Amino acid sequence: MVKITALVVLKCNPDGSDPIILANASDLSSFGFFQRPSVKEFIVFFGRTVAKRTPPGQRQSIQHEEYKVHSYNRNGLCALGYMDDHYPVRSAFSLLNQVLDEYQKNFGDSWKTVQADNAQQWPYLSEALTKFQDPAEADKLLRIQRELDETKIILHKTIDSVLARGEKLDSLVEKSSDLSAASQMFYKQAKKTNQCCTIL
Amino acid sequence: MAAVATSSFRDRTSEFVSLSNTLRRIGGNTLPSPQSQPSNDPSSVTPDRSEFNKNASRIGLRIHQTSQKIDRLSNLTKRSSIFDDRSKENEELSALIKNDITSLNMAISDLQTLQNMEIVERNYSGDRVVHLTAVCDDLKSRLMNVTKQFQDVLTARTKNIKAHENRKQLFSTAISREHPLKKPPNSVTEPPPWSTSSDTSGGNLQSGSSGNGVPAGNQLRRRMATDMNPSSQFEVSMLQQVVPRQESISQGRAAALQNVESTISELGGIFTHLATMVAEQGELAIRIDDDMEESLSNVEGARSALLKYFNKMSSNRWLMIKMFLILILFLAVFIFFVL
Repeated sequence: MVKITALVVLKCNPDGSDPIILANASDLSSFGFFQRPSVKEFIVFFGRTVAKRTPPGQRQSIQHEEYKVHSYNRNGLCALGYMDDHYPVRSAFSLLNQVLDEYQKNFGDSWKTVQADNAQQWPYLSEALTKFQDPAEADKLLRIQRELDETKIILHKTIDSVLARGEKLDSLVEKSSDLSAASQMFYKQAKKTNQCCTIL
Repeated sequence: MAAVATSSFRDRTSEFVSLSNTLRRIGGNTLPSPQSQPSNDPSSVTPDRSEFNKNASRIGLRIHQTSQKIDRLSNLTKRSSIFDDRSKENEELSALIKNDITSLNMAISDLQTLQNMEIVERNYSGDRVVHLTAVCDDLKSRLMNVTKQFQDVLTARTKNIKAHENRKQLFSTAISREHPLKKPPNSVTEPPPWSTSSDTSGGNLQSGSSGNGVPAGNQLRRRMATDMNPSSQFEVSMLQQVVPRQESISQGRAAALQNVESTISELGGIFTHLATMVAEQGELAIRIDDDMEESLSNVEGARSALLKYFNKMSSNRWLMIKMFLILILFLAVFIFFVL
């Protein structure tokens, strides 16, 4: 199953110092209870390093053990996503794009003046984390493709049932023509038996 | 011409000539100079037919040659693989064949007009007319076969090309994925980012990350910019992967869009198919309806006839009167005859 483990928004300084975390949301349910703090630390440090190494206007994906980290730096505002290998790359980057847009809409340019790590939670990020576990949500093209495939399957089934209907109609036509022939014979026979005894 | 003759029709003019000779000798001994006439007749007959025949034989030969070319083309398409790309030859050959087929088409239509003109002009006998039409039809059917063959070969070729493209893509992405795996193994395993010095962690991070080949183009640029020192081979191999990977996102989107578009058009086709089938079946339903109405009317008529019969049978009084009348009639006749 495809999974997002964490989403982080950072502010990257062009001078190369450590980036500052602006928002952080993670889903650590797959880790044991005692591993969670260390994983959180890992996420924070990894995020800082990757964001530091991403030049502005660049997209990047890094493989670490079984996770891929996708980062997108846009004019000093950097978004990172920690996803597993199966998450399609394109939808990952469109998701990061969306996150950045939301952030800019919500917070405007206030992030540029932040100097220390922001400890507040941004509810949109945690919502996004749960919503976008399914890559089709993030990437409209994927969703459209998936729906079209389902429709195609349904249409194939419809055509099969229409073919069966055609067969049944064929047998009905045969039976009805047999019936009409038999009824015609019946009519003639009845008329014949009536013919001979009219005199008497 | 000999080859064409032996392939589909036999030239029996010599037999015909000898037969006509024997018949003439048997039938008309009074005919003057039977020897010269047979020699004249073929020569006078053949100029009339030779025009038509010549054209027909030429066309047959060209059809034969075109079919041979089509065979060559199909062989070429089967043989050509990814690494032995002979698409230019294929295209030239197919263009050539197309030209041939169109010219053959025109020639056959010319031949047909010639035949019609000759029929009108010279009042040929019925057999000759039949023969001419038969030859024309034969040529036309052969040309149709040849065009069908050509179409099959073209479809096979497009399928081949598509398969080649797929395999090329597979190979190109597999190559770019294989390459990172061929790199030195210690670059694949990444030390944890919280190691002692940030420099080493950054460096290891980079080598590890680029060791796994996902959009590596940006990484290469970054590395050149930050002036790390990977091996030169490594750079070259990464360079080779830069170009396809850098546009992979937009290409991926374009490919996905095309997929969606083709799926939608397929769906449209399926819908029209469905509509045709339902229309056909509607006609069937109408037929069934008609049949049922007819049988209903028949059964009703039969029922009324039987009812009349039954009524006649069951009404006793009328029958008794009839019987009495018949008896009295018999008595009257009997008495009349006796008296």
